[in-house]
Amino acid sequence: MTAPATTDTAADTAADTAVSPDAPAPAPKAALYVYGIAPAGIRAPRAPGVDGAPVRLLTESGLCAAVSDAPPRLRPRRRDLLAHQAVLAELAARGPVLPMRFAVLSPRSDTLLSQLRSDCQHLTTQLEGVRGCVELNVKGTVVPGHFADLVRRDDRLRGLALRTRRRPDYEANVRLGEAIALGVRREARRAAREVVDRLAPLAVRMAGGTTDDEQVLSTSFLLRSADETRFREAVAALARTCGDRLALSVTGPLPCYSFVDPCPASPAGR
Amino acid sequence: MITYDDEVVCAPRAGTLYDVLELILDRGMVIDVFVRVSLVGIEILKVDARIVVASVDTYLRFAEACNRLDLEHDVRSKTVPEMFGSPVAKTVGKAGARRTARSLTDKVRDVLTPEHEEEAEAEAEPTARPRERAERGRSPQRARGRTAARPRDEDDRPRSRPRRRTDEEDR
Repeated sequence: MTAPATTDTAADTAADTAVSPDAPAPAPKAALYVYGIAPAGIRAPRAPGVDGAPVRLLTESGLCAAVSDAPPRLRPRRRDLLAHQAVLAELAARGPVLPMRFAVLSPRSDTLLSQLRSDCQHLTTQLEGVRGCVELNVKGTVVPGHFADLVRRDDRLRGLALRTRRRPDYEANVRLGEAIALGVRREARRAAREVVDRLAPLAVRMAGGTTDDEQVLSTSFLLRSADETRFREAVAALARTCGDRLALSVTGPLPCYSFVDPCPASPAGR
Repeated sequence: MITYDDEVVCAPRAGTLYDVLELILDRGMVIDVFVRVSLVGIEILKVDARIVVASVDTYLRFAEACNRLDLEHDVRSKTVPEMFGSPVAKTVGKAGARRTARSLTDKVRDVLTPEHEEEAEAEAEPTARPRERAERGRSPQRARGRTAARPRDEDDRPRSRPRRRTDEEDR
């Protein structure tokens, strides 16, 4: 997995010199898988990259890009998604890093280097923006057990429940269940807004993510590393106060995925 | 001015793949001279995440559990700790969630681990399930427990995402 680069070149040379008829034609210089960009001068991450390839750093204009040879075919395999994450986590542990989205390739290394050169200013500014910071992602899911309390408190639900009980049928049950589900969700969403309001003052920046019926809170917070403990304590306290309605979880510290400029004038969106 | 110290860095690790999936796939930089490979499977993953689960099933479970509540003699001042802890209240959410989780997870896993990885998956299965279940009662400290030392295969199974809906809908 962590074959040093020298082995690769040695193997290449061997393949080139031994001109056997069935040997594959020497591949054109392979594309590079790009993990992220960091200030120059850091150590290359030890974690293996996508497809187990060793990760190396290409340095230019005071910046370096963590790259590995791109696999012939890139798929969103679990182990590759995790490799991407692991490499970035290692880089982030050493200082600021601008994480790339999964599956970003640079066709050739000189393209990459000239990009670093021409975009140096912008990238450096962004690196400074996340220096000393980590991303923590807070998710909150609906607590269905809250429904009983809700039915007792809410006159409308209570009435509906009693009517359904008197004349039970399928339709009525679906209506009652839907009303309860909606109510439980609404309570959870309210709690989620409260959580965000409380945590916001601790964060440098925030970025909301997609939510759904079950997961009503998914927000990333950019924190100064020093504030992480305080932030976790705040989440724990909130989890106690609204735990009957909303189950909270924290993930991180993460590379600052949500707090890098996705790309100026990039037509390649999601 | 780097403020990362080893203790902070080493203690809590990033969460499961499921926890970071949307960040890895949808956030982060894309530089225009680079290419973002279009990935077969990514779209399916996202569609799966939005898949409509059997809502009616959930509704009926709620109704069933609700019908067992004592409402006739109830007064609002009465607290209901017994309901939170009661088997009824617990099973409502869990049973429904787990059932959809099972099928959805399988689907997502197929995308995430095609071909030969299936075997390794199957091996990890018996150990993974109980843990998954245990974690369903999420605690705020959940993420902390995950250390780098823990074998990845056990823990990184993506969990289900029921259907998505915008916040506005319920407000």
